[in-house]
Amino acid sequence: MSSKSARRVVGLGLVVAVAAALVASLATAGSGSAPQAVLAVPRGDTLYTSGKQWGPYTNFNPLKPDYNTGTVGLVYETLFRYDPLKDTFIPWLASNGKWVGRNYVVTVRKGVKWSDGAPLTAADVKFTFETQKYEGAQYGTMWKTGLQRVTTRGRTVTFHFRGVPNYQEWDSNRYTVPIVPMHIWKGYSEKEIVSGNTANARKLIGTGPFVYGGGIGGSQTLQYNRRDGWWATKAFGLKMPMKYIVDIHNTSNTASLQNFLQSKIDLSNNFFPGIDRYVGGKVATYYRKAPYMLAANTAWMVPNTTKRPLSDVVFRRALAESINVNRIVVADYANIVSKANPTGLLPTWNKWIDQAQVKKLGFTYNIAKAKARLAAAGYRDRNGDGYVEDKDGSSINLRLIVPKGWSDWETAIQIIADSAKDAGIKISPAYPDFNGLVEERNTGKFELVINNEKQIGNTPYTYYDYMFRLPLLDQQTVSNFQRFSSPKAWALTTQLNKIKSTDVAKAKKIHSQIQKIMLEQLPVIPLWYNGMWAQYNTSVWKNFPSANGNQATPSTWNGYLNMTGIDALAKLKKK
Amino acid sequence: MRRYLARKLLIYLLTFFVAVTIDWAIPRLMPGDPISGLISRLQADPTAAQEMHGYFTKSFGLDEPLWRQYLNFWAGLAHGDLGPSIAYVGSSVSGLIRAAIPYTLALLVPAIVLSYIAGNRVGALAARRKVLDNTALPAAYLLTATPYMFLALMLAYFFAFRWQVFPVSGAYDFSLQPEWSVEFVRSFVVHWFLPFLTLFLVSFGGWAIGMRNLIIYELEADYANYLQALGAPNRLVRKYAYRNAVLPQMSGLALALGAVVGGALVTEIVFGYPGVGTLIITAIQNRDYFLLQGIFLFIILGVLIANFVVDIAYVIVDPRTRTGLQGS
Repeated sequence: MSSKSARRVVGLGLVVAVAAALVASLATAGSGSAPQAVLAVPRGDTLYTSGKQWGPYTNFNPLKPDYNTGTVGLVYETLFRYDPLKDTFIPWLASNGKWVGRNYVVTVRKGVKWSDGAPLTAADVKFTFETQKYEGAQYGTMWKTGLQRVTTRGRTVTFHFRGVPNYQEWDSNRYTVPIVPMHIWKGYSEKEIVSGNTANARKLIGTGPFVYGGGIGGSQTLQYNRRDGWWATKAFGLKMPMKYIVDIHNTSNTASLQNFLQSKIDLSNNFFPGIDRYVGGKVATYYRKAPYMLAANTAWMVPNTTKRPLSDVVFRRALAESINVNRIVVADYANIVSKANPTGLLPTWNKWIDQAQVKKLGFTYNIAKAKARLAAAGYRDRNGDGYVEDKDGSSINLRLIVPKGWSDWETAIQIIADSAKDAGIKISPAYPDFNGLVEERNTGKFELVINNEKQIGNTPYTYYDYMFRLPLLDQQTVSNFQRFSSPKAWALTTQLNKIKSTDVAKAKKIHSQIQKIMLEQLPVIPLWYNGMWAQYNTSVWKNFPSANGNQATPSTWNGYLNMTGIDALAKLKKK
Repeated sequence: MRRYLARKLLIYLLTFFVAVTIDWAIPRLMPGDPISGLISRLQADPTAAQEMHGYFTKSFGLDEPLWRQYLNFWAGLAHGDLGPSIAYVGSSVSGLIRAAIPYTLALLVPAIVLSYIAGNRVGALAARRKVLDNTALPAAYLLTATPYMFLALMLAYFFAFRWQVFPVSGAYDFSLQPEWSVEFVRSFVVHWFLPFLTLFLVSFGGWAIGMRNLIIYELEADYANYLQALGAPNRLVRKYAYRNAVLPQMSGLALALGAVVGGALVTEIVFGYPGVGTLIITAIQNRDYFLLQGIFLFIILGVLIANFVVDIAYVIVDPRTRTGLQGS
């Protein structure tokens, strides 16, 4: 090689190296002590969150359920909030609410102002609830099942019901329907309200502690700025310690974990498998030990009860007894989840669980029992392949599905298949993609599927509804995927809906009756409680929710800020 | 020249038509109904869910027969309307893509141009030069054989996670919002570098190898031997060789564009870069027909336009095509 060309190569290499060094120096300058520009939010005044949003921040419509992080809670607020840990309703935009006969009467709180200065009125509440009459509206059920009209007088709003109201469902509406400002929203079309984004930045007017700060559309972060004069400061002494909340949209849990460990995220609601190894030091969780997280929902195995042999309750029971859930908890989740009660009801609903009955009727992991049960019912291994055949001799090979890419569930169903094998039940794990799975599940083509779509809430009614809802349709879109038909269970469920939660004795009786059917019939097989994933990096903020301190739901997921997520944020302290 | 361009244009239009038709058809061949997936995600209560299913199917025009959906698609396209997004209900596909495109282009264009220039230069230098050939060539082979995803992961692991020289993900710091300011641009460049480097390195290797081989081939051609025999300086001979070798590389550029775009999509996902690649994943996961169509359309258009530009550039660079066109 001539010296000249060698020099040229070296020169080129140098240019690249210099460029790289330059960029690198820029990079390190930023993370060091470089003075903050005016437009960047200061680290010490900012709470960084992640784990809720996947994809750009487009939807600021609180009445459409996939709204951006914080739309309900930080900007728009609800009449009540619900504290699942204490099982109480917290009067919020309503200063109180009570049943007067079959009417529900609320008083709109005094002194609440929209962020544009207009006062919150009873008309706003009436307007909001009436938008839900529109076709396709998210909270439309109430208008179809008894709510007749809404009237106002002064600060009082009265909800008139026909017949006995669905108390359980109404309780959910009390803390999930966000109130929107009529003076702005009356300008929106029906279509915009039902399925639009209402993403005009100047019109994001709420009653909450924050106002929109930036990030609509293509941004990778959504910024909220603290608002002065939030009503709850006067009413409850709640004050947000952070000037800014910046939510980061997830691209992958791995990227979020790296940012979290580098202290770029303070509160992460991502699923971080293996986070137990980091707990201690600057990483904290709700519980200091397993299961680390609060329970947010139940993961069930849903058997298609219209197909042999899953239509046979004896087989379902043997199947339930053959699953080693503890292995899933330990090997798959490293103890960040816990095994579910045989009723599947969340720990926050403990008071509704008839424990004596669970002891008597509940299934437990027991291979010997499962084997004996199968043999007694005529499921025997006739061809010696190690798996039982159906009573008529046809082979059994159950397809168990979870969405592709849900790695924790993919592992879980492999464990389930292994464990069922011990009892002689053949299960083949399969991983169709999400929409393929939904199609199979909704149309009833599936055999076994794992599902956890019903979230924590004010009442196990939603769980019963999920298990027993009738009538069965061609497409089961959100409940009774297993197509289990028990008119008695469904009658009890609807009966429970019409009992006030405050009527504890009466409600308990029905709960117990429903649970009996659930435990005996096993329409779905409860496996484990999925966590309310929440990891705290305590290098900038402290006093995050924990079992022995600030007890609140530490989540920015939709629906959690209007539980006690707001308290969780308000009680944070600067380090 | 005009006839040449007209013919090319016709071919491009035809390609466009076929590609767009396939683009429209492919998402619809995937199993599963996007609205059921949507309702499942929205977690409506059972009574509302039934009605919402009907409402959304109608509002997305998915209740119409397929042929009409196809016609609607072209009609929309003629008005620059790519339809509504299903994954992001309430947003228009064009809006979502518009927001993501600057990021993707900022990665793609410099990576393609710089790797082409640098790769060709280094390849030309390396040809028939022992030391350089023995060092640069294996490196180039290694680079070009590396999958984008793997290189991206390696760079992210070492530079971002282990040594923390560069940020792990995103296109700018979390404390900023997109804006024309020094602070933002600085942050943008820092975040841009690793994904850019991934694309640059992989393509760079390919160009270097191609050029090196072509130069060797050209140096063995009669004209090169003749020049050398005449006693022309080495540099002059190589200069002519380079000029001739650039031509196949140029056609190669047109062919490679598709692969680079694909690579950019994967790289974006690794670095959580808010471009079209990240958008495409959401679109696939949610069976978002319209968004998928829109993104593919953008890719089709991009590749076609780039090819067209290369075609024209080819005519300019290679005088022989010009004479051929004019009919010598």
